[in-house]
Amino acid sequence: MSKFIVRRLLGLIPLLFAVVVVSFLLMKLAPGGPEAQFNQNPRVTPEQIEAWLHRWCLSGQTDPVSFVKEFGGWFGVYNCDTESLFTPTGGLNILPAALGGGTNGILHGDFGFSIATGRPVLTLITERLPATILLTTLALVIWVTLAVILGVIAAVKRYSLFDQSVTFFSYVFYSLPTFWLGLMLIFIFAVQLRWLPAQGIVTPRQWPPFNTDLYWAAFGKNPGGALVDIGRHLVLPVTVLVLVSIAADSRFVRASMLDVLGQDYVRTAKAKGLQRRRVIMKHAFRNAMLPVVTNVALEIPFLFSGAIVTETIFSWQGMGLLFIDGVGARDYFLLMGILLITSTIIVIFNLVADVLYAVVDPRIRYD
Amino acid sequence: MSEPFRPADTLAGVVGPVETTPATGPGDFEVSLESLNQWQLAWRRFKRHRLALIGTVVLGIVILIAIFAPILWPYDAIKIPGAKHDGGDPPSFQPLSQLFGTDFGGRSVLQQVLVGARISVAVGVFTMLIATTIGTVVGAISGYFGGRIEGILMRLVDLLLAIPFLFVVLVAARFFGGGDPVALIAIFGLLSWPGLARLVRAMFLSLREAEFVLAAKAVGVGDLRIAFRHILPNALGPIVVSATLTMASAIVLEAFVSYLNFGIRATDVSWGNALSNSQGYLLTGNWWWPFFPGMTLAITVIAVNFMGDGLYDALDPRSKV
Repeated sequence: MSKFIVRRLLGLIPLLFAVVVVSFLLMKLAPGGPEAQFNQNPRVTPEQIEAWLHRWCLSGQTDPVSFVKEFGGWFGVYNCDTESLFTPTGGLNILPAALGGGTNGILHGDFGFSIATGRPVLTLITERLPATILLTTLALVIWVTLAVILGVIAAVKRYSLFDQSVTFFSYVFYSLPTFWLGLMLIFIFAVQLRWLPAQGIVTPRQWPPFNTDLYWAAFGKNPGGALVDIGRHLVLPVTVLVLVSIAADSRFVRASMLDVLGQDYVRTAKAKGLQRRRVIMKHAFRNAMLPVVTNVALEIPFLFSGAIVTETIFSWQGMGLLFIDGVGARDYFLLMGILLITSTIIVIFNLVADVLYAVVDPRIRYD
Repeated sequence: MSEPFRPADTLAGVVGPVETTPATGPGDFEVSLESLNQWQLAWRRFKRHRLALIGTVVLGIVILIAIFAPILWPYDAIKIPGAKHDGGDPPSFQPLSQLFGTDFGGRSVLQQVLVGARISVAVGVFTMLIATTIGTVVGAISGYFGGRIEGILMRLVDLLLAIPFLFVVLVAARFFGGGDPVALIAIFGLLSWPGLARLVRAMFLSLREAEFVLAAKAVGVGDLRIAFRHILPNALGPIVVSATLTMASAIVLEAFVSYLNFGIRATDVSWGNALSNSQGYLLTGNWWWPFFPGMTLAITVIAVNFMGDGLYDALDPRSKV
């Protein structure tokens, strides 16, 4: 088992490196390149552009050699001041700064500055993360719970009216375009009925922007009011996420449960004369949950990458909206940073799911 | 069995020889045998799935609308007549062109639904064709031949699956799309195939050990012919289902990307574009503008998904007639 984990972890390194290369390529291939943002600005002199490019180890050249150098600089292997693999003090640039290495490049945690806002990419991401995690975690917990309940009941009462309606509505909500469902819910509950706020995380002018120092100060003074305010803003986006995500998971739980209910040991348990409830909950349910656990592990990266569509519709200032804004502003460094971080999380949780699969189910062995 | 085993002609690779069903005519005691090939069996199974039938009919209507939109909507699409009310007129039967109301410029929402079907359906169909072809070929080659080709192709699949799909689609559409529907189709198609490739590869891995493959090899059939004529038809069910899912998601994706203004040009009409400007007017109570294009989109996608569900049952050779 530990052999398997080590082998998979080693396999992750080339994969993540490929992700790094792809995200860099995406930026380099984009028309105009990152310096195109200065094209319309008469106050920026060519020297300033030069200096700006140099800060990011970009040469503005297109030949393969400077391309590799640029990539090396962005990755943290190459030092652009000395134009070699070494830092001015003579250490290898790839080493951590504490060991005499360089400070540039993603290997040293330098994801660059957002072009649109001028702030460090990592700061922007860590600022937005709490809002996303709040929204996605709440939604995930609710939809997994509901999916398990609905799936198990549908499996136990197979082909009943309940089962068929769960199937039908699963398909319908699974098919509904998320953003349109969001728009319609806003129209009904925010515009017409005026029960819930249409957009945002907190009510503007009543509360400071979410996750700022001011906000937490206000939160400390009136925690109850703050929670009620956020709760009201959470209702619609969480509803949308739950409705569109519940379908796949409840189908999965149903299939898994049906599979287990057909097993011999369940029949044996029934034949022994155990209560039906006990057979379902003790014997069948616990085993049916094994594949569900791994399936949920695969959904965890979503907690960080954010719900792009839902966050856009509801102006929820999280990671998804940060990304959309980055795409709109052609904010390369921000986009590369988000792509890299979310890809890393996805890859790691794929591995976690594989390992979990073997941990919860002793029948599965990796060797 | 007098004939050599030829799974490629039918889907029979899994079930074996053609099944026969006794049919009894009224008042006729002579036993007659009705022989059905796998396609007829699949059609029988598909017919019983009522929602799938309805879905197919709905999808057919939408495709017909997309093809004949210029005939259905003979009016000038460019001319902006101007709305009577501020922000657009509500739906009315008089004139019929305002059945779905008008937008703030007085353009008929019905027109946007009918004409918009062209781009939306085209994106769905062509993305499906590109993604399904690439996914099937990549999966078949890596599953059948294995070795180094498989290693390279599957690492590519790993890479594409490691990057969040929606992220890459949005970045690519914004940087390389340029408002062109053809570019959008290329982006969607070139990014949507890895899941299918993995699925097809897994099926090929198990099927290449089957006895009918051995038999085909023994009589000297070439590798490519075995892969695509003998094994592939057995994997048809999951491929067709994946194709319908790809189509449904491509239609939604186009709408979303266009909704964010990263998709097709603002001057072109698609369901996503029709929705794109409507959000601001939603808050003023102009519900019909986003409602009808979105509703059409939703109905189309539901229809495609139900059809896929029916096809899955119908093309599974193990399910009962």
